[in-house]
Amino acid sequence: MTVKEAEELIRKGRAYASRTKYKEAIAYYERALALDPDNPSGWYHRAAVFIETGRNTEALADCERAISLNQNYSDAWSKKGHALYNLERYEESVVACTRALALNGNDASAWYIKGVCLDELGRNIEAQEAYGKSLELEIILDMEAEKKKIGR
Amino acid sequence: MKTEMPLSKPIRLFVSQTENILDTEIALLRNPEADPNGTLVDVYTYNIEKNVILFPAHYTGLLKDFIIARHCVHLLIKGAAAKKSRYLVCSFTGGSVYHGIHQIYIDALKDEAKKEKKLPVTKLIQMLSILYTNFNDDINELPWNPITNARVYHRMPQIRKTQLYYLMKEGKVDMDDMMEYEDIIPRRYFVLNKAMFYARDQYLAKTLPADELMPVINIPQMKKFNHLEVKEMLTTRWTHTSWYQSKVFGDTILEIMEKYLQKIDWNAESSLDYFHEIYQLGVRMTNHFISYMSMKDWFVWEPPKHLQDAQARKTEYVDEALKKIFGDLIEEPSADNTQG
Repeated sequence: MTVKEAEELIRKGRAYASRTKYKEAIAYYERALALDPDNPSGWYHRAAVFIETGRNTEALADCERAISLNQNYSDAWSKKGHALYNLERYEESVVACTRALALNGNDASAWYIKGVCLDELGRNIEAQEAYGKSLELEIILDMEAEKKKIGR
Repeated sequence: MKTEMPLSKPIRLFVSQTENILDTEIALLRNPEADPNGTLVDVYTYNIEKNVILFPAHYTGLLKDFIIARHCVHLLIKGAAAKKSRYLVCSFTGGSVYHGIHQIYIDALKDEAKKEKKLPVTKLIQMLSILYTNFNDDINELPWNPITNARVYHRMPQIRKTQLYYLMKEGKVDMDDMMEYEDIIPRRYFVLNKAMFYARDQYLAKTLPADELMPVINIPQMKKFNHLEVKEMLTTRWTHTSWYQSKVFGDTILEIMEKYLQKIDWNAESSLDYFHEIYQLGVRMTNHFISYMSMKDWFVWEPPKHLQDAQARKTEYVDEALKKIFGDLIEEPSADNTQG
């Protein structure tokens, strides 16, 4: 029962987060994590909100917790890459994004962050490759969003 | 600049440079409801403390970077105008609304006379206001589009592929604008609307350079005009279609555009003087468009606040204009004519 309750609390937290009501979102995630601390999704979503609010060190810790619970959690690896980028730890960010992309090659955001970090490290050719892949995926997502809009 | 989102290095530097030149702050905000072109809410237009660039939430990578770059260039132009002289936009007054609506009405009457199925008066009244507003929006936005795009293209080679995708999409969306009104609005305005977008896309196709952006390649209704001999075009029924006429008018607008924009050194270093010069050229080019489209008394150059106040009073202006045109034939014109 607690697992289901925790999932429901996470769902509510995400609804708040999507409306940029981060304080409320964090409160729901914390209630969920208190009920079920082994749920990697709770840690991951709280990390996402921490990033939006500039709490990058806490975000990184939450991503690591999520990954420790599920090594194949690609979104958590991607978010870890984002937190590390914000902390200007570019080398480590590239490693985290590469791991995310090994698990899910269609993560446009991970390709982009990898590109940005490689650019910062002066590895321009690799950066351009990552940007290219990111753009390809972003265009597909954009076209899907357009189709949805037309179908609405 | 305050943001927690990743930004590619050239864009991050460009945003910082924009802030330094204008001595202002730029906030970048993702918004699920944001316009696909992004929105610039700036201190030179609104009474606010810092500039905000909004973009759709699903743009997380280079598409977001391109939108930011384009708005930064526009911000530089606005800021340079405000700091070096005055930043003015095409606004309207009660008198100019009357001139515009009256002209559209005269043209509509000419078109309606040839039609078997006449437009109901309520629809006609609605259309007058919508068309006028539409041209006011276009004349404030369109001339700056080729300018900002050309500058981004020359200064940001890293995002050229993104720019190409984006412009192809933008070209299609803009050409679709007004399509549902093609049979309702006077031909002249449909043609002028398409001609402006045609000229912009043709200019960008040459600037980038990218044939894919040419309307005769990118826009389905114009594809038939590609690779046609002049003689062939003049002797077929195509000459009577609105799309062919859009191409003809568009070619003239393109000539006007090139006359002004060829004076700009797109690779010059950024400075207030440089962007002020671009602003002045943009204003002269806009005036030339307005004159070419015979809309000289439709608009007035005023500070942005004047336009905001005018927009708040638009219903009143439109009602007054309709009263002058139709006299007592209509009693409550405002009931239907404010949507636009």
